[in-house]
Amino acid sequence: MALGGTIRGKSTTLRLPVEADLETYNRWMADMRVRRAHSVWHEPAMPATWKERFKEIAKEKQTVLWSIDAAEKLIGFAVGHVWPMGGGFDVNQFVVDPDEWRKGHGSDVALALHRYLFDYLDLRLVTTELRADNTAALKIATKLGYTEFAHGHEVHYREGAYVDEVKLRMDKETWQERWSNEREYSPLAAEATR
Amino acid sequence: MIGPKLVGQNGVSLVPLTLENFKLHGRWMLQPEVGRFWGPRFGDFTDESTEKRYTEFSESNTSINWTIAYLDEPVGFTGIFDIDWVRRDGESGIFIGRHDLFGRGIASEAIRLRTDFAWRELRMHRVHNWVAHANRGSRRANEKVGYKQMGLFVRSFFRSGEWYDEWLGEAYPHTFPDQH
Repeated sequence: MALGGTIRGKSTTLRLPVEADLETYNRWMADMRVRRAHSVWHEPAMPATWKERFKEIAKEKQTVLWSIDAAEKLIGFAVGHVWPMGGGFDVNQFVVDPDEWRKGHGSDVALALHRYLFDYLDLRLVTTELRADNTAALKIATKLGYTEFAHGHEVHYREGAYVDEVKLRMDKETWQERWSNEREYSPLAAEATR
Repeated sequence: MIGPKLVGQNGVSLVPLTLENFKLHGRWMLQPEVGRFWGPRFGDFTDESTEKRYTEFSESNTSINWTIAYLDEPVGFTGIFDIDWVRRDGESGIFIGRHDLFGRGIASEAIRLRTDFAWRELRMHRVHNWVAHANRGSRRANEKVGYKQMGLFVRSFFRSGEWYDEWLGEAYPHTFPDQH
């Protein structure tokens, strides 16, 4: 897996993950609040297993992992997959520490990540999948500009019942319409290329 | 894992994947006549890599793989991948590698055998897939055994000067047609 570099939001930062983060990842994967909201990235395991996973996934070239900080504290991680063709990106994992929910971190880091994907990587579209009852995540996605393109029935199983899944996409045109002022770098000065 | 032999109608059967046939799969995917709705037509197809992938396919606990045989000749492949045994859900796929045999109902029968196996033997709850919307033959073959549209992914890929959309389908045991 490729390890992601720094992307700064207003209150959060996506940054290079390090081995010291793994213990916290493990704790989140064992947290039933996280598991109710979305699929686990990996099942809880002993530290040596997480280190092995970290080493193994570093070999996957198209997938990117970031740790997420707020106020210099680890509060989440994100995993995404760059399409080998077609200029797309799938957001596969977007985990925020349940103790940090409802503080606006999710919205802030999502905006920063998508600015990087559209404004820096120049991608054409981004997709994600959410459980249909994850209203907080759906709200963030809708505000960003995601729209539903598919609805799977009885896809995920938890708490003794199935729950539906919505598949969402956001296109570069939507980014430009809604967030064209969100730029990582200011426009080049007129004389910069003389 | 490798699927067992399933004998169907009209000379179609699903047979256990062998290394010899797996090498054929790679060759088929590189041909333009069958690649309109398929992948990039490049990749690592050396014998060494193919053998490694074959071993991975064989040992996988989250996929089941077959070669499609027509009149006892290998003509394509199919399977169910990324199976989640808690959700009992997986993604299905099919590829007919012989364009001279298109239109003979081979894919329809292969999909019927595969889907029947998913319900009766694997005890799956759901299978789903992505099919190029313009690939009417494949879409119809899936619909015949109970796949229903759950979405449409527009402008999925660009080929020969136009955008191709993808049809997303899902099927359940209760959508499988009565076989009796």
